Amino acid sequence: MSFGISNFLDSLKSAFLYAPVTLKLTFITFVISLILGTIVATVRYYKIPVLSQFFSVFVTVYMGLPTMVALILYNLIFMTFYNDVAKALNINIPITDINPIIIGYFTLILGTTCSISESVRGAFRGISKIQYEAGYSIGLSKVKTLTRIIYPQMVPILLPGLQNSLIGLLKASNLVSAIAVVEIMTGALLPSLLYYSYLEGYVAAALVYWLIGAFIELLAYFAEKNSGKYLKKGTV
Amino acid sequence: MGNYFSFERFIYVFPKIISNVSVNFHIVFWSMLLGTILAVFVAVLRLKRIPVIGQILGVYISFMRGTPLLVQMMIAFYGIPIVFGSLFMNAFGINLNRIEPVIFVEIAIILNEGAFLGEIFRGAITSVPYIQTEAGYSIGMTGAQTFTRIVLPQAFKVAIPHYGVDLVGVFQNTSLVFTLGVVDILGKAKTLGAATGHTLEGYVAATVIYITFSLLLKGAFILIEKKLAD
Repeated sequence: MSFGISNFLDSLKSAFLYAPVTLKLTFITFVISLILGTIVATVRYYKIPVLSQFFSVFVTVYMGLPTMVALILYNLIFMTFYNDVAKALNINIPITDINPIIIGYFTLILGTTCSISESVRGAFRGISKIQYEAGYSIGLSKVKTLTRIIYPQMVPILLPGLQNSLIGLLKASNLVSAIAVVEIMTGALLPSLLYYSYLEGYVAAALVYWLIGAFIELLAYFAEKNSGKYLKKGTV
Repeated sequence: MGNYFSFERFIYVFPKIISNVSVNFHIVFWSMLLGTILAVFVAVLRLKRIPVIGQILGVYISFMRGTPLLVQMMIAFYGIPIVFGSLFMNAFGINLNRIEPVIFVEIAIILNEGAFLGEIFRGAITSVPYIQTEAGYSIGMTGAQTFTRIVLPQAFKVAIPHYGVDLVGVFQNTSLVFTLGVVDILGKAKTLGAATGHTLEGYVAATVIYITFSLLLKGAFILIEKKLAD
């Protein structure tokens, strides 16, 4: 075994071909989790009975579960129970026609929602009570105060945490290869399977991930630079 | 669901699976121990801003942060024997293709932790005010003495909460090692599933074990934090 440059280039090409799968998985999951995570954090911040207790227990327990274990467990549950459930609901799609990426989405959204909700909860603490009172004093409803005053102010506090979540998600999206979804890593391995030499494939996959990760870091850098602008104006 | 999940089978497989948790802790222990040592060097070297080494470490950290651990493990698994195989064969008579995959997993996690913990330590060291270093110098300590006796213990206190989160993360990351054929909790669940034809109980057991130990580790670190805060 040795490192073949032409194999490596084949793998790189194949990895780029499957990059959209990973990108879609990462960004769609991120947007949905951000919305859900904000809702969960808001419910917990306002201590809405029953729901807030439920979320606090659920988030604490769920954070103890590795993504890989969750993914395999859900995949297995899906495989075992799909036929029964489909029969009960009169769904006529055979299980082979269902893309396993749905389970990937489900697992990643659930996990990321939990971690983002924790960062949002932390960001709530960074906003002083005066801001709520300000909204109240000009007659805004509770929801409007949140969407127009509180959430926008949370953005600069949240950005570093969200950057970490996004990069973490990019890396976690790699795990869906375990449930037979073809993404960057498995895509990069397709040419390797012909030659029985895997190192090239994995190095190509690492390179593509690295590029995307660097791009996210760059994006976050500019976002951080711009979002903090009003703060400087405000304090000086 | 009777047919798919039976509580008797769950009780039957649970002890068999939990006995393999030692494999996970073996990985966590060695990776954290060596990773911490590596991370202190990474943090100190980055803070010293030595020309070429600083840039190399920057690339190293960026690579470790930007690529999935699974890919890093695979590169270690397939790459190390290719790069160092003949060297080890000639120098020590060790065939790297024959040694256990768990070693490669540990190497990958150690390198990964070197980067992540390195960043945590760097942040913690910079959080110690410079007056503390000056205090050390004023009573005639050398640079190394000041660092190990004054700055490092204070930085340690700052780093502990992040270190705890990181350790729980490493424990959860051990769930990836079964892909390389290491028989840990998940690997055992898989083999038992293949042997008995009932997979669900094994994975549920693995889930319970992971959640319990993660929460225990988290709780332990909260206790340590409280102790240190007093």
